[in-house]
Amino acid sequence: MSLTVLLIDSEENRARALEEKLSESGFARVVRAEGPDLAAAVERAKPDLVIIDMALPDRDALEDIRAVSAASPVVMFAGTDDPAFAQEAIAAGVCSYNLSGVALQDVRPIMASAIALFKRYHHVETELAAAKALLNERRLIERAKAILMKDRKMTEPEAYRWLQKKAMNESRKLAQVVADFVADDESQQRERKP
Amino acid sequence: MSEIIALKSPRSGTRLRIGFLRLTDSAPVIVAQEFGYFAEEGIDADLVEEPSWANIADKLAYGFLDAAVIVPPLAFAIELGLRGISQKLVIPCNISLGGNTITLSSALARQVREISAKQAIATPHALAACLKAGDRPLSLGIVHAYSTHNLLLRYWLATAGLEAGRDVRLSVVPPARAVEALQSGQIGGFCAGAPWGEIAARTGAGINVASSDDVWRAAPEKAFALRAHWAEENPAALKGAVRALVRAAQFCDAPENASYTGALLSRQKYLGVDSHAILSSLPGGAIAPDNQSRFWRGATTFPWRSHAVWFLRQMARWDLIGDVDTEALAARVYRCDLYRASVAGLGINVPRADSKSEGAHRTDWELDAAPGPIAMGPDEFCDGAVFEPVSVQVNF
Repeated sequence: MSLTVLLIDSEENRARALEEKLSESGFARVVRAEGPDLAAAVERAKPDLVIIDMALPDRDALEDIRAVSAASPVVMFAGTDDPAFAQEAIAAGVCSYNLSGVALQDVRPIMASAIALFKRYHHVETELAAAKALLNERRLIERAKAILMKDRKMTEPEAYRWLQKKAMNESRKLAQVVADFVADDESQQRERKP
Repeated sequence: MSEIIALKSPRSGTRLRIGFLRLTDSAPVIVAQEFGYFAEEGIDADLVEEPSWANIADKLAYGFLDAAVIVPPLAFAIELGLRGISQKLVIPCNISLGGNTITLSSALARQVREISAKQAIATPHALAACLKAGDRPLSLGIVHAYSTHNLLLRYWLATAGLEAGRDVRLSVVPPARAVEALQSGQIGGFCAGAPWGEIAARTGAGINVASSDDVWRAAPEKAFALRAHWAEENPAALKGAVRALVRAAQFCDAPENASYTGALLSRQKYLGVDSHAILSSLPGGAIAPDNQSRFWRGATTFPWRSHAVWFLRQMARWDLIGDVDTEALAARVYRCDLYRASVAGLGINVPRADSKSEGAHRTDWELDAAPGPIAMGPDEFCDGAVFEPVSVQVNF
């Protein structure tokens, strides 16, 4: 049995890893595609299964039942019989469409591989996002201080205390207060020079 | 960034996870969150930005979201299990009217306008004439098969005898990709919610030739749908959520608040696009708007049963649903009773009937409501049809 899988994933490393895994294990032949015209890609590749990163807007294009598959309706594999498995896929951020009515037992190992890979990347991404958030928070505090020092002629310690006090008064995190403060200032800047 | 930090903050109140797309008419949920309207009602809301309608549908169906700002046809598709497992939903309030554009590539739009002016015919008829004259097959983008855009565009095309599938090819293109698809020639136009038509116009790739209003002058657009299960388990929070949204709707509808709302929505964590593109379709945001959302005036937040029935009849017309008991399904999902129970005591005017005749008014009119009447605008369809769903019943 050789299934054709159309893989739509903008994360290059993850896509390559899944492609290798599926070919090595002999589960499936992988064809890669990217938006915007996924209906055409489906027509060309005639896949049994489409696997797509849920972070992409292109999922909606695959939902167009008539455009994608005239013969058989698109069935979202995840969830046709096993909600727990589907939930695991959604939590990992990956979803699949079964286009040719392949038996579930043949699809399952393929999706299991995809879920495992997406989970691993998700973990790495979360750590990366947390690190970025911390950096960004520091950058925003500097930016907010600079605005206050320029517009309200505050000293640096005064500016910092002002922000801390604002956070305390509004009982919100300093990071949130600072992010909104800077965003509002930026949008005001834009208003001034259309 | 703030989302990550927000996760760590201590939680109080009833948790409500609300999915939304990067669209101008997500405004009321964003305002309700940012101004603390949800919090004041004892609701701990999480706003979750999703990149696709498919994600909204799956996450509602599998319980990753409790609620969403949704296009009503998709809510019915989820309820009926048309695209995966089914999930029972309730719609206790509507979010917006209008706000979509029909946008054509600049070259085609100019041709259509020229014919329309020369022969003094309506835009869809001019488009039909264009298609007969030329031989290129026209492909138009919609945002999802089960979207208001699909139904409105088909309705509009049909008035000029154009049928999707036969005369025009409809394909799904995510609005964020529409400009790219217009420029590459993959599509000759699209129908999508604001701000995407405006964004296409600003890049010069397209021109808005019509809006929701040109199809139906009071076209319901987004609704607030919740998992029925969540609604049953959290009756007090459900009412609080409706009140918070009603309050936010009044803010979003006030012309003097347009620039504030536009700036708020333009933030990276919400729409992440130029605030001027958002502003152009907000009430009061443009001097001569060619497309405008409504959030409050004209009983916008009321979940009209007649809207539900219209959507279901149109879905049946285009073969998107099979045999269903339209009235029963409409009554099960569109919950006027929950709206009334939620806003009781707010002192706002509430319609007495669950349904109204749609399309019968060419001018301003007054709707029977309690304690006082509600001022309504015109609601005609482009083909002059009047839609009388069911006998109009008075509730009190």
